[in-house]
Amino acid sequence: MATNLFDLAAEKLESSIDMDRLTSRGTLRIALKEAGLDANKLTVPQLRAVFEKLMPKELDARGFSNSAATCRRVMDEIALSAGALDIDTSTSPDDVFKRLGGN
Amino acid sequence: MDENAYLTSIIASLFYLIAGSRLLRLSRRTRERPELLLGLYFALSGIYYLGYNLPSLLGDLVPEWVGVVVEWTYILGVFPYLLFTRSVFRSRGAWGGWIVGLCSALLVAGTLMLTLDGSVEYSLDNPWYLAQWVGYTTPCAWMCWEAMLYWRSAGKRSRIGLCPPIVANRYLLLALFAGFQVLACLSDLLLAHEVGDDQTVSRITDALIGGTEMASIALLWLAFFAPRSYASWITRRAVILPTPMDG
Repeated sequence: MATNLFDLAAEKLESSIDMDRLTSRGTLRIALKEAGLDANKLTVPQLRAVFEKLMPKELDARGFSNSAATCRRVMDEIALSAGALDIDTSTSPDDVFKRLGGN
Repeated sequence: MDENAYLTSIIASLFYLIAGSRLLRLSRRTRERPELLLGLYFALSGIYYLGYNLPSLLGDLVPEWVGVVVEWTYILGVFPYLLFTRSVFRSRGAWGGWIVGLCSALLVAGTLMLTLDGSVEYSLDNPWYLAQWVGYTTPCAWMCWEAMLYWRSAGKRSRIGLCPPIVANRYLLLALFAGFQVLACLSDLLLAHEVGDDQTVSRITDALIGGTEMASIALLWLAFFAPRSYASWITRRAVILPTPMDG
């Protein structure tokens, strides 16, 4: 049972396409690294951006077809299940630095 | 110090006061701690730099105790700076707290002993001066490191639309600002090393102090008062990835 958003996303990825646990977690970690995101502080909008913009390329590279549609479907499933998770909603450094400039 | 170095120091102090008051006003509006902490740091730094230059401008008119008050004003300003870095970048994990504790201890012990000595002797042979120096240089180096790390990751977030490019750029500006503060701290060491009116060392320290202050003002201006043309230039330069489509 997933306890955080990263685990949930990896589980959904694993169950939705023919991918083993290690590969799904590894692929997700690579995409998060490329997105400059911390797996422990993920939010749903951040994950959605990763699944929209980066994951399709990662799945393509691993030989999966219809990767963009697959990512949209997996992300919708994640969003539906994410409500039950305890997601970190504390202020991020980006929020602070946005305020500092008055924008 | 050379007159130009004093002048840049005074200009910097006024700019710090302006930046500090802007952040303090912002904190009153948002009721958030980070802007309050950074605002306090800049406001107290501004007061310090003004006070630091008073004896050079007014000579004997300034009583000796003013120097001690000014010194403590700066030290008081370093605490909110440390807490800002800790609360924004390292709110989790114990080691951020250790840095805050260690720097605070060094600052208080160093400044207290220098004050009790009465001489306020800035010499490399004085261990209390070195303790104080480490106490106020480490927070600048820490801020530089953290902001630089976040600038790198914010650049990646910008590419997928999660971080506005101007915010990513603000990390870089504050990292560079903190880097220049480290340079200014190094020039303090040169000043402490300056013995026997060595003109070469004196010119180097003046150039370092003047240069770092002017660079700091420029960076803070872009970070907190960025003109629209700068913001749109940064936004135009940013690369945003398109969403891939199947087929």
